[in-house]
Amino acid sequence: MKVTIVTFRDIFQSEAQEVDRFGEDYRRMSAVVFLDKSDAAKAGIKDGSNVLVESDNGRVVVVARISEDTHPGLAFMPNSPWSNQLVPAKTDDTRIPSYKSISATISVTDDKIPTVEDLLRELVS
Amino acid sequence: MAVCTGCSLLCDDIEVSIDGRRITKTKNLCRKGFGRYRSLASDRSVPRVDGRQAGIEEAISRAAEMLRNAKRPLLFGWSCSTLEAQRKGIELARRTKAIIDDTSSICQGEIMDMVIRKDIPTCTLDDVRNYGDTLIFWGCDPSSSHPRHMSRFSYFPRGEKLQRGHEEDRTAFLIDIRTSPTAKILAGNFIQISPGGDADLIEAMLAVLDGKIPRVRDKKAMISMMNRLKKADMGVIFPGLGLAYSLKGRMDRMKALVDRLNETTRYNVIPMVGHYNMRGFNQLLFDETGFINRVSFADGVDHGPVYSVVEASKSCDLALVVGSDPISSLPAGIAKALAGVPMITLDPHRTLTTELSRVVIPTALSGIEAGGSALRMDGVRIEFDPIVKSEYPSDEEVLSKILEEI
Repeated sequence: MKVTIVTFRDIFQSEAQEVDRFGEDYRRMSAVVFLDKSDAAKAGIKDGSNVLVESDNGRVVVVARISEDTHPGLAFMPNSPWSNQLVPAKTDDTRIPSYKSISATISVTDDKIPTVEDLLRELVS
Repeated sequence: MAVCTGCSLLCDDIEVSIDGRRITKTKNLCRKGFGRYRSLASDRSVPRVDGRQAGIEEAISRAAEMLRNAKRPLLFGWSCSTLEAQRKGIELARRTKAIIDDTSSICQGEIMDMVIRKDIPTCTLDDVRNYGDTLIFWGCDPSSSHPRHMSRFSYFPRGEKLQRGHEEDRTAFLIDIRTSPTAKILAGNFIQISPGGDADLIEAMLAVLDGKIPRVRDKKAMISMMNRLKKADMGVIFPGLGLAYSLKGRMDRMKALVDRLNETTRYNVIPMVGHYNMRGFNQLLFDETGFINRVSFADGVDHGPVYSVVEASKSCDLALVVGSDPISSLPAGIAKALAGVPMITLDPHRTLTTELSRVVIPTALSGIEAGGSALRMDGVRIEFDPIVKSEYPSDEEVLSKILEEI
């Protein structure tokens, strides 16, 4: 399923980040993508499924949640090291990364959601 | 009363009960601010040098040595430090002929630049509370990002000239992509746009102001909003990251709208700055160099995108990171480049950046363990004292020692 990912800030996730960015609460609230109900149904994605999100820049496994509101074609992710796996490293003349408009595909996976430590290992590998 | 440094509202009405060195009770903190206070006891950073635990003094000496030997250092972060620490940081950048940049470089820099240069009019949050009768929250979600914005200053309070508050005297619109918590509060005045639709919306708004038919689906709603905007005695636009990213490189369109609105009434702009003292750093650097961010002191003062954290992460030979976690907040491809550079990090907490740093210097938490001053998102200076004693030095103290050793 093709979507445009838009990142956002969530107050509960921000609180979890303040308290412990290596903690399970922060991972649970960050490694998540919110999907439109009809988009998810068409792609056979259920609430709570692990999904692989891939962009031209990278890929990451997160948990899918079905939004109460409709937003076909759009998927929302809290801004975090997980969403940053997908943000293009290449920028335009402004040198401001495109955090809020990322073309991506989403598919169901059995792979596990990485921890912050996993993401760090990948970064230095 | 204590000051919360959880965001750039710098709420100065926080009541704290202390038993010895322990905070036992707080009042008036929002959820985000409460998280900041809770962080006092969680996951503090430990001093490290070259992968092993060390004393703070040794870490400071090693940092000074690395900075002395660096050919093209990058000094980054600064938005979570006091004005006093930021001043030391700029001095350090001059002394080491470094590139200096802050988090505004990847968020609100373009809008803040216009505000600080006085290219667009601004006002204080106290003016908003007392006189701001027409508000536009644009690409932001204050309920999540600045939880007390609407209750302390912008929407709910009964201001000096707005005694009937939001029920009658105040109208607020929200322009955003997502049905956020703020969209639920302002449901009747929520203008939902597509990603990147901000520029088109501005053109439609300008068209209505010029008496033309706007090219939007719901023409009636657009004309009705513009009629309300024109009636403002004092309007205020609060641009958030949604607008900053959508209009990057085209911020002149926002200025065109603000200028046009100001032909018939009064509109001000206050960017929804995230970190508690980003504006302070931008103002200090502007006062010293004429630029708010992305400055190099390698040969006098130079400024440009090549000195942005995005570019400098790839070209520097050393990074000093102060109170920021770029390994977490940069796109992974850029974070990977920075991870390949020797890093020195000053931070109260363990972060992704401290984990990859050659030198880690733990610091006191501003507003709780360290005093100083900062500029609120509207430029008002707020001073604060420490409320508990700390075993850690402040950013300012660490930077002073590094300067001495250099």
